[in-house]
Amino acid sequence: MKELRELEQSVEGAIAFLKTQPEIKSAQAFASANNRMWTRLNYTSHIPCNGVEEAKSTIDYGIGVQVVFDGPEGNRVGFGSEERDLSLEGVKLALEKARQGALVDPEFRCLPQPTGEKRSLFAYHDPMVMGITDQALVEGGWKILDGAIWSFLGSDKLRDMAPGGALHALGLTVGGDLTVLQERMAVGSYEMPEVQSDESAAILAHVTSMVEKAEAKGSGYSVHLKLRELDDGAGSEAAENAISSLGGIRVPSGDYPVILGPQPIGELLSHLVIPSCSAGSFYARQSCFLGKLGKQVASDMVTITDKGNGPGLIGSKGITCEGLPTGETTLIKNGVLNGLLSDWYEYQRMLHDPAAGEKLGARPEDVAPALVPKNGFRFARGGGRNFNVRPHASATNVVFESPSSGDLGALIKEIKRGILVGRLWYTYPIHGLRAGDFTSTLTADSYFIEDGEIKAPVKVNTLRINDNIANILMGIRGMTAETRPTILWAADQIVYAPLGLMVDKVHFEGIAEFMEAAY
Amino acid sequence: MAQKVDVALVDRVKAQLSNLVSETRGRLKDCSYIDLRIGVGEGQRAVAQDGMRKFSLGDYRLSYGLRVIAGRDISAAGYFGQSLGSADVDNLPRVILEGVQQAYERAMANSALKGDRKSRWESLGNPLQNTELAPIDVREDTIPAVCKINPVDVPLEEVSRLTQEVSRAVASSDPRVKVNQAMVETSLIRELIVSSEGASIDRTYALTQALCAVVAIGNSGAQQSHYDCLGHQRGWEIITEGIDEELIKSKPLMQFALDLAADNVALSEARPCPSSDKDVIAVTDPHYNTLLVHEIVGHPTELDRALKLETAYAGRSWLLRNLKENMLGQPIASPLVSAYSDPLLPGFGHYEYDDEATPGRRVMLIDKGVFSGFMNSRQTAATLGVSPNGHFKATDASLVPLIRMSTTVFGAGQQDPQEMIREVDHGYYLVGHRIPSISESRENFRITARKVFEIKNGQVGEMFRDGGIMANTRDYLMSIDAVGNDLRIYPVFNCGKGQPMQAKKLGNGGPTLRGYARLVGGTK
Repeated sequence: MKELRELEQSVEGAIAFLKTQPEIKSAQAFASANNRMWTRLNYTSHIPCNGVEEAKSTIDYGIGVQVVFDGPEGNRVGFGSEERDLSLEGVKLALEKARQGALVDPEFRCLPQPTGEKRSLFAYHDPMVMGITDQALVEGGWKILDGAIWSFLGSDKLRDMAPGGALHALGLTVGGDLTVLQERMAVGSYEMPEVQSDESAAILAHVTSMVEKAEAKGSGYSVHLKLRELDDGAGSEAAENAISSLGGIRVPSGDYPVILGPQPIGELLSHLVIPSCSAGSFYARQSCFLGKLGKQVASDMVTITDKGNGPGLIGSKGITCEGLPTGETTLIKNGVLNGLLSDWYEYQRMLHDPAAGEKLGARPEDVAPALVPKNGFRFARGGGRNFNVRPHASATNVVFESPSSGDLGALIKEIKRGILVGRLWYTYPIHGLRAGDFTSTLTADSYFIEDGEIKAPVKVNTLRINDNIANILMGIRGMTAETRPTILWAADQIVYAPLGLMVDKVHFEGIAEFMEAAY
Repeated sequence: MAQKVDVALVDRVKAQLSNLVSETRGRLKDCSYIDLRIGVGEGQRAVAQDGMRKFSLGDYRLSYGLRVIAGRDISAAGYFGQSLGSADVDNLPRVILEGVQQAYERAMANSALKGDRKSRWESLGNPLQNTELAPIDVREDTIPAVCKINPVDVPLEEVSRLTQEVSRAVASSDPRVKVNQAMVETSLIRELIVSSEGASIDRTYALTQALCAVVAIGNSGAQQSHYDCLGHQRGWEIITEGIDEELIKSKPLMQFALDLAADNVALSEARPCPSSDKDVIAVTDPHYNTLLVHEIVGHPTELDRALKLETAYAGRSWLLRNLKENMLGQPIASPLVSAYSDPLLPGFGHYEYDDEATPGRRVMLIDKGVFSGFMNSRQTAATLGVSPNGHFKATDASLVPLIRMSTTVFGAGQQDPQEMIREVDHGYYLVGHRIPSISESRENFRITARKVFEIKNGQVGEMFRDGGIMANTRDYLMSIDAVGNDLRIYPVFNCGKGQPMQAKKLGNGGPTLRGYARLVGGTK
């Protein structure tokens, strides 16, 4: 993987070269190197398997330039990049692509300029994660499987269930992955000539386990900034949750009070709330919060902040991929829509959009601080800060700030007859983001609550939620003090969600009744 | 001086890389298999929004991916993928050899740890097996692209100009159109697959697509947002002339986009779709059934899902619990229903060989209502004890392939679709797909339509917005009582699967169907 200094030198050289080109009015250069490593897990006790199915990686580096050309018809803006060539030759190839594709975009104002914010996060990654070996990668995957397998082997419940003690006949499965992300980047521009750089690395594990004969499923997650923290916890958590889900029952259709666990909270945020809290979705009139900046959109218990510079948080970065300091953007504060995620382009566009007042529900000049661009990243390809991608607004660490001191047990005690929803599946805004209608199915880690106690697990894939995000947000009645980081498949951000979030009413439909007799 | 990257690069390296793979396998201790995939693409794309040009770029993509199977006592796989640039062109064999070494080291480390766990995990170590690939007919083949106007011959300015023109026309088509975006891309792609078994598949194809998205706000304030895709493995001609083939038809991009805008405007003035307490008669058109077959037939018949490899991500399949308990040979649909995946059909899902160099062939998934087979890869075919059928594909050479749909469709029936509607006293006609939500093992679905029409006394009546149907998969498939003769194939541009997620282009389609399902509208 390319060293940070090589990226910095490339950007310095690029800016120096671009400044010699007379037709260029302004430019930004961005060099990066990314290594994404995975061990993908697949253990099935009832089907031949490999355990660690795939030990793999993708690696890239290169430089991209965004260039403003002077021209008779006005400023023309172009973007080009070159893979695996940080030399001046690579910069020239990238420039040529930018030149050929340059066009007049009437909404383009300028390249990113200092926002007045200061960088607060430096040298925050673990060099050991940056230097992880192939052997350690593969061992990490097997270690997570160990956690699950030893939990299965140690379970009396499973031994009692297994005919003749043959655990393999129970259909024990472990799937998921261990992901290691290693990212380095450097950026410089005419507007911000001092080359800045950033380096980050993280380890994420995401595991699903099943006792398939009983259709019992559990999830486990872990995130680590330090290599020494990597353990088998995600595997054992998933297996233990699957064992806890044995004996699942069907729950009839109807409206129920619910407690949403961390994954469902992350799922709803990632598919509905976060996309609705971007300047781009307001510009395109797609947000379910359209016209509601400064207005109540959730229960007054709700405060959600994107913390791009949070020390010790997995998704933190020192600077954005536009060279601007990361920071905190409070999206919802005490239930009121307070801020939007933005990159520089969308920020500028919103400030100058004649319809911005109608879209935001406030005059943009009055709410400019709510739009400050702290989230212009170039995430793509399953992670990494990609030199061949233009910046776009992405969330980082989305953190719930809880006003409560309660725990999960206290929330459960408040519910007469309801559902603890532990994992949602395939949650989509079914009529578009603006409408806020969504649907989703319960697929794991869920329990039926009666008289303030957990009565029984909910059988997987037997309930579908049909509801609207506004009902959920406005119906929040309580939450735990404790949060945990939650990983979602294919999402860039980490959601630090409460262990429980109580909502007064959610609509459920019983589904897949035919499966009771299918096998 | 760096060399230009274009598809002709494959001509220069094909024989050399084929030898490299074979010789290296022989040299590496305990290595039983290597395959190498190289992808080269050159093309251009442009984006316009609300009549303004936003982006245009002509660029190339070069990448490779490797699989090595090795191990002393028990074999395991290791993979490596990398993006490359023009600076690598002169050093390709050296760069790839470095990748082989890394994939080999991963395979050997994986093998040692697999062997260790097989002995330590007591009885639960037994399922850990050698990584085996089912045999295939090893071939060498070269397949040229089919196109009238080669994507690389189209000036970038032309791509950008037309994209802007389309966006501008949509913006001015009706004052209720508030936002629109058009994205057009056209590329020439060449993929080389060589294996240590001697396979060498060199395929070139054109790929052209346009995506249009429109937001309209009606006089009552109702907002509608819809998008659609026009695409084919053809050249620039599909954008300017449209497509007029037996199974794929599309208007030229300009009219395609204007039709989408007109639909959005009309929908923004429509009433919200009601919901039903009970099942209603639902007639669904081929565009709607494109998403329906994708979600309720295509995905659950991917054998990697069925064998639990996607349990943590894209989900399992209700069609297979284990190798003994499964739905193979069981009725899961009305006898009127057949469905198949066929990579030899035209469109986004077309190919002659998959990414393991397995010849692609039609797989009957449902044969007259009976579940009859899975799409598979060499490894999953070996597990199930069947022959590989060529459905292992990656979206980029640097990524590990997954089992993917090729062109997966409901088969055509006998009935005139108009007659199918005329036979309905009361029901709903769903036109165009919108957004899906499927339960984890695909046993239940809710899929919204672009337009929902009420059918009264055999006539199509009022149009509603924001509606769709919800049903249990088997119950719905069993309820189908009429299948139209109007099979159409449409492009699907973003099917997500795998870790890291790969958004794949493929083909889906079907004829008009009539079945029973719950009508579901909006939530208050």
